[in-house]
Amino acid sequence: MARDESKARTGRQSREDAAARAGIAVRPDQFQQHAAGRREKVFELKGVGVRYGGVPAVKEISMDVHRNDVTALIGPSGCGKSTLLRCLNRMNDLIPGAEVEGSLLYHGEDLYGSKVDPVQARKMIGMVFQKPNPFPKSIYDNIAFGPRILGRKENLDETVENALKGAALWDEAKDRLDANAFGLSGGQQQRLCIARCIAVQPDTILMDEPCSALDPISTGKIEDLMIELKKQFSIVIVTHNMQQAARVSDRTAFLMVELDADEDNRWGRLVEYDETEKIFTNPADSRTEDYVSGKVG
Amino acid sequence: MAEETRIHYGEELEQLEASGLGGLDLASAALGRTLEVVEQQDVELAQLVIADDDRIDGRYLEVHQALITLLATQSPVATDLRLISAMLHILKNVERMGDQCVNICKMIPLTGNEPPADEEMIRLILTMGKQARTLISQSKRAFEERDVEMARDLVRLDDVVDNLNRECFGLALEIGDDPDRREWAMTMLLAARAIERIGDNAVDIGEQVAFVVTGLFREFEDASHPDG
Repeated sequence: MARDESKARTGRQSREDAAARAGIAVRPDQFQQHAAGRREKVFELKGVGVRYGGVPAVKEISMDVHRNDVTALIGPSGCGKSTLLRCLNRMNDLIPGAEVEGSLLYHGEDLYGSKVDPVQARKMIGMVFQKPNPFPKSIYDNIAFGPRILGRKENLDETVENALKGAALWDEAKDRLDANAFGLSGGQQQRLCIARCIAVQPDTILMDEPCSALDPISTGKIEDLMIELKKQFSIVIVTHNMQQAARVSDRTAFLMVELDADEDNRWGRLVEYDETEKIFTNPADSRTEDYVSGKVG
Repeated sequence: MAEETRIHYGEELEQLEASGLGGLDLASAALGRTLEVVEQQDVELAQLVIADDDRIDGRYLEVHQALITLLATQSPVATDLRLISAMLHILKNVERMGDQCVNICKMIPLTGNEPPADEEMIRLILTMGKQARTLISQSKRAFEERDVEMARDLVRLDDVVDNLNRECFGLALEIGDDPDRREWAMTMLLAARAIERIGDNAVDIGEQVAFVVTGLFREFEDASHPDG
C-alpha cells in the first residue's frame, strides 16, 4: 500500500527532501543549538573496536563524549554497550584475550598509550556497576577505602561526608556511619557505591545499568543524583531503560547488533549518536526509530 | 534477528489515526448539509446539523482520551510521538470545523422564512463551502499519505476561499439601503467567515502533516508576519 510505503520513509534524507520540496526551511542544527560553544571533549573515539579472543564484540565506534554531559549508551542485548563502556576506563584489560583497537583519547591523550597506568586511569574514570557491590565493611570505611589507599588520609571525615552528601546519602547515613553497608537498602547501597566512586575525586563516572536492580523510587533518586553529579563530573551510562536515557542524558548513542553472512558472529556497531532530544523525537536512522519506539528488540 | 514487537500498540495507534481522521469525513458531511441549509433556507435541516455535532464532539472525546491513555501507558517516542501530538492537534481542528457548521446553522433561522436573499452572495458562499470541503478531503488525504507537498498545496486552495470571502464582503458593502437586506447580508458575512475559518483549520492540519513527516513545525503562512 502506498500509505505504508510513505509511512516508512522516515530517514533524514527523505524528510529533508520532502520539506525542501514543500518549501520548508530545514535547519539540521535545530536540535544542536546547545552544541555551539560546547565544553571540551573528555573522550574521543575513532574506529574503536574490541575483540575477545579474536572474535569482534564491537566494531568501528567513533564518537566524542563531552565534559559535564550525561551520555547514554542504548541498544539491544549483545550490542556491546557494556564492552564499549569498559573500554573507557580500561576495564577490558582485566579480561583475558580482550584486545582494543582504534584510537581512544582521554582529554586528548591516548588512553591505551604505553605510558598510561590503567590503575591511575581508573582513579580518574570511576565505575558504578549494575548490582550494588559495597565492601563488607562499615559505611564509613567503604567511602574511606579509596582515599586511604591513595594516601589521602587527611580530613578523611570531611571527604566521607562530602562524598555521602554528593551521592545524596548523607541524611540517611550520617547517624549510622559505623553500621555495616550491607544493612542499607538496594538503592542506598547503589548511592553508597556512587559515593565511594566520587570520594577519590574522579572526573568521569561510568555507570553500567546502575538502576536495573532498583525499584522506581530508588531509580528516581539515582536519576536526580545524576543531574546533580553532572555539574561536577562527566557521566557515561549504559541503560536498558530507554525512558531513563531520555530523562537523564544529554546525548544518546544507539548501538545495534550486526551479524556476519553466516550469522556465526555478531558484534555491536554505532548506528546513531546525537542530542537525546533528537534521538527520541526525530531520529535520523529508521533503525534507531524502530528501537527507541520498541518496535524491534 | 529483529523481530517486530508491540504489534497491538501499533495497531491501536493506526486505528486511532483512522478514527480521528474519520472525524474529517463527519465535518465534511456537516459542511455539505450546512451548505444545503444556506441554499434552501432549510431550518429543519439546520436543527439536524446542530444535533449531529454531538457525533463530532463524541469522536473528539473518544480519540482524545484514547491518545492520552497511549501516552500514559506506551511512552511513545519519535514518529509515534509526533503522530500522537499531531492527532491531538487536528482533533481540535475537526471539532472547530463542526462548531463552525453549527454557528452557521444557528444563524440561518434568524434570517426568517423568506429572507431578501442575494443570489450572487449565496452563489459565492456555496462556492466557498465546496472549496472548503475540497480542503478538508485533501487535508485528510495528505495526512493519511504523509504527503507534505499535498499538505502545502492546501494554502493555494485556501487562497481561493479567502478571495471568495473578500468578494462576499464587497457584495455586502453594495447591498443597498434596505435594512432587512443589510441584516441578511451581515448574517451571510458571518457564515462566509465561518467557512473561511474551516479552510484555515484544514491548512492547520496540513502543517501537522509536515510536522509528522519532517519533525519540524512551521506555519505555512504566518498571519502576523505575512511577508516573513
